Amino acid sequence: MKKSFDDNEAITRLMSGDNDALFQLYDKYSGALYGVILRMCRDQTKAEDLLQETFIKIWRSIDSYDSSKGRFYTWAYRIARNTTLNSMRSKEKLIQTDDFRVYDSKETNEEVPDYTELKGSIKTLEPHHQEAITLVYYRGYTHKQAHKAMGVPLGTFKSYVRQALKQLRKTYTKKLVYIWIFLELMA
Amino acid sequence: MMDKKKILDEGLLELYLTGELSEELTNAVEEVLEKDKSLKEHFDVLESDFEQMGMEQAIVPPNIVKSRLKNAVGQTKTNWLPLGIAASFALVFGLSTFWLYEKWQNAEQNLNTLQMQTSELERKVNNLESEFRLTSNRLESINNPDVTPLVLYGNSKAPNGKVIAYINHKSQLVLVNPKGLPRLPNDKTYQMWSDVNGEMINMGIVPTDKELVTLKYIENAESLNLTIEPAGGSEHPTVEELVSNIII
Repeated sequence: MKKSFDDNEAITRLMSGDNDALFQLYDKYSGALYGVILRMCRDQTKAEDLLQETFIKIWRSIDSYDSSKGRFYTWAYRIARNTTLNSMRSKEKLIQTDDFRVYDSKETNEEVPDYTELKGSIKTLEPHHQEAITLVYYRGYTHKQAHKAMGVPLGTFKSYVRQALKQLRKTYTKKLVYIWIFLELMA
Repeated sequence: MMDKKKILDEGLLELYLTGELSEELTNAVEEVLEKDKSLKEHFDVLESDFEQMGMEQAIVPPNIVKSRLKNAVGQTKTNWLPLGIAASFALVFGLSTFWLYEKWQNAEQNLNTLQMQTSELERKVNNLESEFRLTSNRLESINNPDVTPLVLYGNSKAPNGKVIAYINHKSQLVLVNPKGLPRLPNDKTYQMWSDVNGEMINMGIVPTDKELVTLKYIENAESLNLTIEPAGGSEHPTVEELVSNIII
């Protein structure tokens, strides 16, 4: 809750033209957004440009952000995702299409650096849940593209995503419990 | 009709989260989220997990990105809001100025018309006033107890001819109304004479185109005599051309 309060304060300052607030938001979210962009485009130089572009878009369009509709991270994630997808599309000179194979062919041509590997709690998920989350949140696939990529029906795919998120939540809760126990023991 | 059940069953919240929904569906989901508190709570948890996952997958970007961002943002952000407000005001002022200008032009035109009408009326009033003054002066010089009106009837030289003379001995004025005289050819004119001890003294010519002619007052005149003379008048009366006479 405190985090979100800080966000709101920074966002208000940014809306009134205080650029320092942008760097405050950058310090907090650039890592998470860079993680998304880099995993999607798999090109470090390009990912750096796209991250910069994402924050410039945030800076320009902060007036359109409505905190009552959702978290700042969600809003910023959408900007990062769309910016990256647009850039990949224009690079490939492809019109938007449901054909996900263009991404596949790209992957096979490029060596995937290790830093795009997912880490943390996601790794504890079952492989198909991991893949579902990766495709949708870290590869920029739409649900329609992703279910085809995985070769399962859309409904099944949706339930994979939901189950995966549920599983993750349990992990987070467990972690919190461990931290709590740890803190209790320390005290 | 969109409702909580449909949103949950179809997994629309997950799609909404990543911005994959069409504008129409986005609006529909947002509408339900706004109304349904339990769905909003559900979404809050989803968002929170999503953010946590994001933080967990974070990769620290090189510092160069931040410095480049600082450079890019360093150039002052154009804040369109005050400019927009200023532009709206300018538009409003512009329109109202135009409107006022139109009004002003109309008023100016009306004023000009009114001014023209006023000066026209003024001119008419002046004319009427001077005509009235003239008429009342004439009336005063005629309709006065000191004035003796005399009527001179024409003889065979001017049959039916008639001249009315008004003599004021007190103010020594003689006025004649020649309107009753027959018109003469251009080379002839009527001339009035006073008889003083048998001598005819010139009182002046009597043009027939005027309503009232002022003549010279001659003291001790015994009679008035009207003759026809060559144009411009004579020094001595042509007795043969006597038209009328009357004893005062």
